[in-house]
Amino acid sequence: MKTYKWLSFVVGALLVFTTLNPQENLTAKQIVDRSFKATKLAGSEMLSTMTIIDDKGRERIRKIASVTKLYDNGETEKRLIRFLSPADVKGTGLLTFDYEEKDDDMWLFMPALRKTRRIVSTEKAKNFMGSEFTYADMTPPILDDFTYETLGEEEVAGTPCWKIEMIPVDEDVTDENGFSKRMSYIGKQDFVIRKAIYYDLDGELHKELTVEDIKEVDAANHKYRPMHMIMVNKQNGRKSILQVDEIQFNPDVNDDFFTTRYLERY
Amino acid sequence: MSAFAQKIVRFRWIIIIGFVAIALIFGSQIPRSEIESDMKAMLPPDIESRINTDKIDELFGGTEMLIVIIKAEDVLNPETLKRTEDISQQMKRIKGVDKVLSLFELKNIKGEEGAMIVKPAVRRIPKTGEQTEVLRKEITENDIVYGSIVSEDFTLTAVIALLKTDVSDDFMVKEVRQLIEQNPGQEEVVIGGLPFTRFQVTRSIRGDLRRLLPLGLLIMLLFLFVCFKQLRGVVLPFAVVIMSILFSMGLIPLLGWKIHVISILLPIMLIAIANDYGIHLIAKYQEYNYEGNPYSKKELAMNIFNHLTKPVILTGLTTVAGMLCLLGHIIIPSRQLSVLASAGILFALAASLLFIPAVVSMLPKSKPVILLKSDKKPLLEKMLRLFGKIVTHRPKAIIAFALISALAVSVGIFFVIVDTDPNKYYPKDHPVTYAARLVNDNLGGAQNISVVFQGDIKEPRIMNKIDAMEDELKDMTEVGSTTSIARVVKQMSRALNDKEEEWYDRIPDNRNAVAQYFELYSMSGDPDDFEKMVDFPYEHALLTARLNTASTKKMNHVIDRLREKTEDDQDVLLIGGFGSILSELAHKIVNGQFLSLGLAIFVVGILLMILFRSVTAGLISAIPLALSIITLFGLMGIFRIELNIATALLSSIMIGVGVDYTIHFLWRFREERQNGLDPQDAAKKTLTTTGRGIVFNALSVIIGFVVLFTSSFMPVRFFGFLVVVSISSCLIGALILIPALCIVIKPKFLEPKVLKT
Repeated sequence: MKTYKWLSFVVGALLVFTTLNPQENLTAKQIVDRSFKATKLAGSEMLSTMTIIDDKGRERIRKIASVTKLYDNGETEKRLIRFLSPADVKGTGLLTFDYEEKDDDMWLFMPALRKTRRIVSTEKAKNFMGSEFTYADMTPPILDDFTYETLGEEEVAGTPCWKIEMIPVDEDVTDENGFSKRMSYIGKQDFVIRKAIYYDLDGELHKELTVEDIKEVDAANHKYRPMHMIMVNKQNGRKSILQVDEIQFNPDVNDDFFTTRYLERY
Repeated sequence: MSAFAQKIVRFRWIIIIGFVAIALIFGSQIPRSEIESDMKAMLPPDIESRINTDKIDELFGGTEMLIVIIKAEDVLNPETLKRTEDISQQMKRIKGVDKVLSLFELKNIKGEEGAMIVKPAVRRIPKTGEQTEVLRKEITENDIVYGSIVSEDFTLTAVIALLKTDVSDDFMVKEVRQLIEQNPGQEEVVIGGLPFTRFQVTRSIRGDLRRLLPLGLLIMLLFLFVCFKQLRGVVLPFAVVIMSILFSMGLIPLLGWKIHVISILLPIMLIAIANDYGIHLIAKYQEYNYEGNPYSKKELAMNIFNHLTKPVILTGLTTVAGMLCLLGHIIIPSRQLSVLASAGILFALAASLLFIPAVVSMLPKSKPVILLKSDKKPLLEKMLRLFGKIVTHRPKAIIAFALISALAVSVGIFFVIVDTDPNKYYPKDHPVTYAARLVNDNLGGAQNISVVFQGDIKEPRIMNKIDAMEDELKDMTEVGSTTSIARVVKQMSRALNDKEEEWYDRIPDNRNAVAQYFELYSMSGDPDDFEKMVDFPYEHALLTARLNTASTKKMNHVIDRLREKTEDDQDVLLIGGFGSILSELAHKIVNGQFLSLGLAIFVVGILLMILFRSVTAGLISAIPLALSIITLFGLMGIFRIELNIATALLSSIMIGVGVDYTIHFLWRFREERQNGLDPQDAAKKTLTTTGRGIVFNALSVIIGFVVLFTSSFMPVRFFGFLVVVSISSCLIGALILIPALCIVIKPKFLEPKVLKT
């Protein structure tokens, strides 16, 4: 009787462990960490369109080409963006070295002036290219800057997601990132964010990010990229759309691209 | 007994209930009325400056500024900066605030080690004296803030809230006041800006109505009591005044109008004017109700009606005619006041002629009020008799004297100033005026005039044009500060180029370069930094000049110069801004002044010609009016009283009211001539009989308007003062000049008709 009881407990426990998805045991922080990593590509080439829409529905459209590559065991991402249109900014280039532990380095090359200028920005809350996306949205934040809590599960457009609340650890982080709270909906299968809701420094609803059309770009490493991202500013009615028109996984991007010398070669 | 008078007595109940009911029904609407404190609403919506300013709001969002001014010995000291930062931060969170401009929000664009850095003008509060001096130097070189957000001597700094277009002044001022309370400190903090002015104006209008009305009524009660020493003599004209005020004030919400600053004049005008007719009826009642008179109470009522209908209607009509001439003004509240006051006076006229006799016919006969002429007003008697003497002995000298003195005073006309600045509503030490002075003298100016450019704004040709116009504006002494997208481009050019480089502090010569400047900026600035300078598609740009003066004349100078410069320029869409509204308002006030004045003299002249069936009658009665007008404007110039929204109403009101005395005089004078007196004796007799009535009538008007001296609004106070002056001059004209003219000219219309006997 005693042995039977013991046995049934072991069997039962085994059953529980094997039937459960191992991901169920992840902490909120681990989920977010995996979600950051899920979109980190060893290297890529991309054509995208950024559409900035004001509160009256007027559009500003920019076409850009970009290449990225990971360095230092994935701790540094180098990025080169080249403007293709509109004509007046064609050839303008932006070179970014995105470090995990320190402020990014950025250079902008202006072909009409034949000048390159460093951009000093310690504030990730700054809007990127005049859009509703911020630098913080474009690059993964420092993991330890926030506390995380899983608030439950919810479906976003048919995809089961974890609903995770992300709160900055102190005021400096809050100021730097420009939000007091972020609610992220992270896909349970692929760890890719589907939706994020941002609350401003007063705790009021500020922006809403919607991510659609997720593509597995690097199948071997299960790396994904969203092809369509919409950021809506709920306070001023402005909206920005980042659409990836073409993407190519390429871990062997030429290192020369990520130099100011190449930046100015236009 | 006329049949009509009998009908009044027969239907007295209906008349009494009817008038009271109308007054109550209209009066019950008064609580529904709203106060309008926006200067913009004074101009019709189809006026150019208003259309243009609305268009600017549409293109660039609200441009209204609520300003918090922080005053300290040195605003760069850490405590003051901290307080400024807190206020600036928290202000952003107030609903209704579109954008905050402060040392912590406005940017500093500068070049440093190969980078263009865009950061707030004050990013960190300095900890040491050395850091403070570095910051001071940086701010001195930052023309986005120096002289506009921080005063050049660093004793003042402003935190400006640009408001959304749909927010109420009341809400905003309360929120900002609370914000200041929550951030206490050593520094003096002052609120300013147009929304604050309007907030104060609204409160002052309410306060004025609450104070002036009871005070005016009280003074009128006392005056009536002194005149009639009898309850019904006080109550009946008083009831007429109250009813006409209820009626005309109730009309405001019923017609869908709002209470403006000058609407304060309406009840006061009615207190002063609406009782005139009642006074005549009561006087007549007391005259008939002598000791041992044979009349019944009904007969008394019918008598007063029959004897007074004609002159009362005539004087009422001239007053209404004068009022209606205010329709010559394009300014909305003036036109509304004209209609409302006319309606109120017509109501008072009807109530005096119908309601008073109806009530009198019901009341038991009162004890006769003994009129002891000798001890009542001996001084007045003596004075009038003296007038009679002078007029008959030296009529030509009087005419000459009147003309010469009017001519002498007329010199002042050349010094009359037109002013529409709402900050001048208040006396010098008032918070509104104080804040305006601080902003005008130290923080770039409170009123703005804007030019909207259209086309491809990134095109260097247009950029350079904006830049050139901005430079020209900056050179004008009236302009305190300017903002434009061209200036930002130049600032970027300084950050991007070294001093010795060709494109340092210049607009680039090709469009792509300009576009790439903006692209560079967008990498580190905020997307809405240029919101108030250029629209989203870069199709319209706004050049704003803030004026350091409130003077309409100087404002006109700037606008005229801009008009001249931008005439036929396809790149310039419009000129607007609050300054242009004030300027246009001033033009309209002057035009409306001349039109309504001319119209009033003409209409009143025509009325007199019809009344006396003589052209000369119209001309003669116009002479004292003309001299009064000359005196009025002359004194305005001499005492530096500005022609503004309130004082501009004066002349046509004065004509309508002031001509009554002339009418009374001429009417009686003709009667006495018909009765066989020679002109000299007729003048003497008229002066000592009707003259008394005229003096009382004028006194009641003057006393009624005297309460305006206690108004919160300077223009209204001046209005009160000028009414006293001009009614007095009309009175003197009627009592001295008119008799002299009648004696000298011996006009035909006053001569006795061929006796039928």
